[in-house]
Amino acid sequence: MSATSVLADGAGSYVHWGVVQISVTNLIIIGVMLVVFVLAIVLPFPGNRRQRESEDQR
Amino acid sequence: MSVLGERVDPEASSNWTTGLRTRLQRTVPPGQILPDRQPVYVASWIYVFGVLSLAAFLVVLGSGGWLALGGVTWWHTSSVGHFVNSLHLWSVELFFAFMVIHLWGKFWMAAWRGKRALTWITGAVAFLASIGTAFTGYLSQSNFDSQWISTQAKDGLNAVGIGAWFNVLNTGQMLLWHVVLLPLAVGVLAVLHVVLVRRHGVVPPIDADVEEPT
Repeated sequence: MSATSVLADGAGSYVHWGVVQISVTNLIIIGVMLVVFVLAIVLPFPGNRRQRESEDQR
Repeated sequence: MSVLGERVDPEASSNWTTGLRTRLQRTVPPGQILPDRQPVYVASWIYVFGVLSLAAFLVVLGSGGWLALGGVTWWHTSSVGHFVNSLHLWSVELFFAFMVIHLWGKFWMAAWRGKRALTWITGAVAFLASIGTAFTGYLSQSNFDSQWISTQAKDGLNAVGIGAWFNVLNTGQMLLWHVVLLPLAVGVLAVLHVVLVRRHGVVPPIDADVEEPT
């Protein structure tokens, strides 16, 4: 085992895709951020329905 | 007021204080500095990430100030120091996650519409300054990780020809950039960004039926 490979041990798993190389941890974080982004667009904002109802009653 | 008690016309006055006050009053419309009502389209989670970024930034500044009080040996050896060190790291992680989601939201809204180009630009430059602040933070850890990162960074920075301007191997310089210069730049840009948001209002959705300056 070379010195380089010893140093690299425990450095985490990486995904290789052509010239792209990214750690699995960072890939998961980006995936979670994308999920949060989509949820922020899709999920209704609390209080919005209540405000609309009170404006309709006026 | 003049010495005689009559009000001075701000337009006619050459007084610096009067001029600055008039300028500040004109910058943000009356009642818009801290408004308590917003257009109905603002009631969406995607509009929350800007203020989440600001909240995370305040925690970053607070935990960073706490680390500066204790110093290097404290944050490496004591349990409270480890906790504050982690608080600083994770608030930065959240700051960037919130800021990037805010950026995605504003990009797909084309948030530079309605004379908001400078708002977009100050946000983008603040993002770049934040990246510089975070990178110098890696260099300020004072451990083997920061040594490794600095030796890798100097090769990259010298390769693109900007190594003459600063030295990432100079821990003192990088620490001062991290705790003074770059946070100041991010803070000033963030204040400018928020003032511009308050000046022009929150950008409406693309299909919203609202009158906007062209």
